[in-house]
Amino acid sequence: MEKNKTSEDSIKILNRRSFIIIIFAAILSLIVSLRLFSLQVINFNFYKKKSVENKLSIKLIPPLRGDIYDSKKNLLAGSSSLYEFVVFKNLSKDHLHEIKKLDSLIKLKLNFGEISKQLKKYNEYSGFSLSRASWEQIVEFEKNKFLFNSIKIIESKKRYYPYQNFSQIIGYMGQPTQSSEIYSKGVFHLERSYEKHLRGTPGKIFSEVNAKGKTIREISIEKSIKGNDLDLTLDLNLQNYAQSQLPSDKKGSIVVINVSDGSILSMNSNPTFDAQIFEDRKNNKIKDLLNDDQKPLLNRAFSGFYPPGSVFKPISALVGLQKNLIDTKKEVFCKGHSSLGDRKYYCWKKEGHGKVNLKKAIKESCDVYFYELAKKTNIDDIASLSTNLGLNKEYDIGLSNIGKGLVPSKKWKRAFLDEGWYQGETLITCIGQGYNQTSPLQLATLYSAILNGGKYPIPKINKNTPTRFTGKSLNNEHKKIIINSLNAAVQEPRGTAYKLSISNPAFVKIGGKTGTSQVIRIKESEREDDEYKLKQIEERFKDHSLFVGYAPYNNPKYIASVIIENGGSGSAVAAPIAHRVLDFAHKNNV
Amino acid sequence: MFREFKSIYNLNWIYVFILLIIFWIGEINLYSAAGGSLDPWASNQLIRFLFFLPLFFLVTMLEPKFIYNFAEIFLILVLIGLITTLIFGYTGMGATRWIRIAGFNLQVSEFTKIALVIFMAKYFHKLNAEKTIGLFKSILPLLVSIIFFLLVAIQPDLGTAVIILALGLVVIFYAGIKLIYPLLSLGIILSISPILWTFLKPYQQNRIQIFLNPDLDPLGKGYHIIQSKIAIGSGGLQGNGFLEGSQSSLDFLPEKETDFVFAIFSEQFGFTGSILLISLFFIMFLIPILKTYKLTQVFNKIILFVLSFKIFFEFLINISMTIGILPVVGVALPFMSYGGSSLLSNLIICALLLNFMSINENKRMFS
Repeated sequence: MEKNKTSEDSIKILNRRSFIIIIFAAILSLIVSLRLFSLQVINFNFYKKKSVENKLSIKLIPPLRGDIYDSKKNLLAGSSSLYEFVVFKNLSKDHLHEIKKLDSLIKLKLNFGEISKQLKKYNEYSGFSLSRASWEQIVEFEKNKFLFNSIKIIESKKRYYPYQNFSQIIGYMGQPTQSSEIYSKGVFHLERSYEKHLRGTPGKIFSEVNAKGKTIREISIEKSIKGNDLDLTLDLNLQNYAQSQLPSDKKGSIVVINVSDGSILSMNSNPTFDAQIFEDRKNNKIKDLLNDDQKPLLNRAFSGFYPPGSVFKPISALVGLQKNLIDTKKEVFCKGHSSLGDRKYYCWKKEGHGKVNLKKAIKESCDVYFYELAKKTNIDDIASLSTNLGLNKEYDIGLSNIGKGLVPSKKWKRAFLDEGWYQGETLITCIGQGYNQTSPLQLATLYSAILNGGKYPIPKINKNTPTRFTGKSLNNEHKKIIINSLNAAVQEPRGTAYKLSISNPAFVKIGGKTGTSQVIRIKESEREDDEYKLKQIEERFKDHSLFVGYAPYNNPKYIASVIIENGGSGSAVAAPIAHRVLDFAHKNNV
Repeated sequence: MFREFKSIYNLNWIYVFILLIIFWIGEINLYSAAGGSLDPWASNQLIRFLFFLPLFFLVTMLEPKFIYNFAEIFLILVLIGLITTLIFGYTGMGATRWIRIAGFNLQVSEFTKIALVIFMAKYFHKLNAEKTIGLFKSILPLLVSIIFFLLVAIQPDLGTAVIILALGLVVIFYAGIKLIYPLLSLGIILSISPILWTFLKPYQQNRIQIFLNPDLDPLGKGYHIIQSKIAIGSGGLQGNGFLEGSQSSLDFLPEKETDFVFAIFSEQFGFTGSILLISLFFIMFLIPILKTYKLTQVFNKIILFVLSFKIFFEFLINISMTIGILPVVGVALPFMSYGGSSLLSNLIICALLLNFMSINENKRMFS
C-alpha cells in the first residue's frame, strides 16, 4: 500500500462527511424507533386484538333439535344418529387412492370426478363427507380399518320421523344452503313455524389455530343447548286409525277436534307423503313428490277448500231464527222444487219431502225449505254469521299454506267479480253451494261453535297453547233447535244418516250433518239419493262426499269432519267413516 | 500475506463480544421461530458459524497491504461469479441468485458489496485528493457501482442491488465528492420521479401501491406486511416473553426465519427488547467509526467506515421493511436472518473491521 501524505483538509472532509452519515443513520434509527413505539405502545391494543383474532377459531357445535310429541308423549319427530364416511385430507397424502380402495371394498358407487373436484376446495383439516354408511358398511369398514388412514366414520344427527302420517302436519327440514350454516332449518309446517322453539343454541369450541387453520389446542368449550320439545294435541293412535279409514284411492281428509278446548286430535289428508325422504336426501323420491299431480304435499284438512253442501244448512237456519224469518212450527210444502222468477231450484229428492218444518228440513236435508227461507234472507247476514262461527278465517296455528276460504257477500262480489248480488245466488248459498269454499278444519270448527253456543275455542295444535274463546253467543233456544235437528238426522228414522244408527248399534251415538257438494251441475234432484250411482260419470266430476258429526250426541266431546273428494253422497261415504273415527276416539278416550 | 500471530491480542475484543451477543440473540430467535426447537434453523446456523470461524480469524490476520493489492482482483472475481450465477445459477423462488461451489450454495451478490467497497476505497486512496472531489473523478466508481447494481438487479434481487448501489454512493459521498452533486442528483430524481412512475410496469406500480397501503391486497403481497405488523404490534412494551410469540409460532408470519426474523424477536421481547437491539447494533456501528478519526489513510478510513455502515444500514432497512416503512425488497437482518451467504459475508466484514481497527498507522505498516 502506498502511504499517501493525505492533506489535513482532505482528512477533515472525510471526518465531516462521516459525521453527516452518522447523523443520517441516527435519524433513521430514530424514525424506526418512533415507528416501533407507535406500533407496540400506542397501537398495542389494536394489534393485540388483531393477533387474537388471527389465532382464535370459533367452531360451532350444532345443537340437538327439540323433539315433537303427541299428547301422550309418543315421539313424532326426534333426532337420530347418522353415520357417514368422511375423508380428511391432512391425515394421508394418499387420500384419493384410499377413496378408490373404499369404493371397491364397499361399493359406494362414488363419482370420483366430482369428489376430487370438491376435495380441492376443501380445507385440509375439515372433513369431506363421501357417503352415508349403513350398518353393514360400517362392519365391513371396521374389518379393514387398517387400510385407511384418511377416512373415518363420523356420527352426526339427522331428523327422524317415525310415523309417515304426521308429515303433513309436522312438515320437514331443508338442507343448509350455505357452508356457514351448521344446522338445517325447518321449512314446512310446524318444523318451520316452531323453528326458534325447536332449534336450540349452538355450542362453541374456541381453539387456537395456526395460519393453515390447523387446531393447535382447544381453549374452551361452550356446550350446545338442546332445543325445546313441542307437545302437540294430536293423538298418535287416532291419527293412524283415521288415516287407515281414508279410502286409499280417493283424495280426502278427516279432522277430529275436541269440542271443549279446540284441540286438534287428528288431522289426516290423503294422499300423504313421508318427510323422512327429505332427511335421507332421496332425491329421486323428492322430485317425484314435488311433481306428483295428486299433490301429496297439500294437507286437504286446512289447504283444501270445497263447497260445504248441506253441512252449511245450520247456518242458514240460524240466520232465519235470528232474523225471525222462521216459525219453527210452520211447515213448508216441498214438491221437489221451488221457483224464483222463471227459474226452478230442485230439491235432491225429486218426489219432494211433503210438509217440512225446520227440524225435518235439517234432519232430512230438504233443499226446498231452505230455498223458501233464502228468498227472504239477506246474504250479508249469512256471511256475517259464518264469520262469527269460524268460517272465512285463517287459523294461526303454525301450519303452512293454511287458507281462509270464502263466504260470499255483496261487498265481496262487487270487489272480486264486479257484479251485483242476485237473490238466486242466495238460494244456492243457503244450501252450501255456489261461491262457498270451506276446509274440513273450518267445518269442524263451525260445528264446535254451534255446539258451544256461539263462543267457541280457537283450534290449537300446540298442547301448551292456552285455550282461547272467540265468537258471539247464540240464543240458547236457537242452539237447542239446531242440535236437536242434527241429532235427529242420525238418530231418527228418515234422517239422512239414520243408517249409521242401524248398521253399527254398538258404536257411540252421534249427531251430525251429511253434505254432498256438487263439482258440476248434474241433475240437482238426484244429488243426495243413496241409490244413485254415478259410475257413468267421469270420476273427477263426481260429487264430494262430506259429513260433520259429533259424539256422544247428548254430551258432545269430539267433532269429526270428513271429506272424500268425488266420493259420491255424504251419507253413503263420508258419514260411516266419521262414525268409525268418532267411535274410535270415544272408546279410546283420546 | 498474514500478520504475526501475536497481533491477535490487538483485536478489539469488545467488538468481538458485541458480535457474539448479537449472534447469540439471533440463535435464540431462530430457536423460538421454530417453536422452541434447534431444528431446523438454529442448529444449522450455529454449525455454519463454527465452520466459518477459522476463516473469520484468518481474515482478521490478513495484511491490509494484501487486501489493498488485490482489490481489483476481488472485484473481477465477484464479476465472474455474478456472470456465472446468471448463466449457470441455481434458481429458487423465481430468482437466480445462487451458484454451487464445493457443495455450498453461494450468493455472490453478498460478497459483491465487500469487493466493491474495497475496490472503491483503493480508487479514492490513489486519487490522493487535496480537497473535495469533482464529478469527473467520481464517474468511474459511479459506473462500476451501477454495473454491479444492474448485474444483481436482473437476477432479480432488487434488495441486494439497491444496497450495492447505496454503498457505492456512500463511498463516493464519504470520500469527499463536492456536496453540490449529491444534492443536485437528489433534486433531479425527486423531480422526475412522477415521470419515472409512468415508465414502471403495472405490477411494479402495484407493488409500490401495496407498500403504501397493504390493505389493498391483504392475502397477497400485503399479507407479509400486515402479519408482520400484527406480530410486532402485539408484542407491546414488554413483549410476550420468550417462546410466547403466538403469531410467529402459529405460522401466520411467512419467511419468519429470513427477512421477517425481526418480527419474531419483537413479538417476544417487545419495544424494550427492540430498542436494546437497535442500541447494540448502533454501538457496533460506532466502534469502528471512532477508530477512523484516528486514521489518516483514505483506504483504511473508507474500509472501516463504509463496511461498518453496511451492517447497520442493512439492519435498519430490514427492520423498516418489517414495520412497513419501506417496501419489502428482501434484505437480510445481519447475524439474525437464517442463511449462509449473509452470515459468511457479514463475518468477513467484521473480520475486516477488526483487522483494520488494529492498524497502527504510525508503525511499520506503511514501510
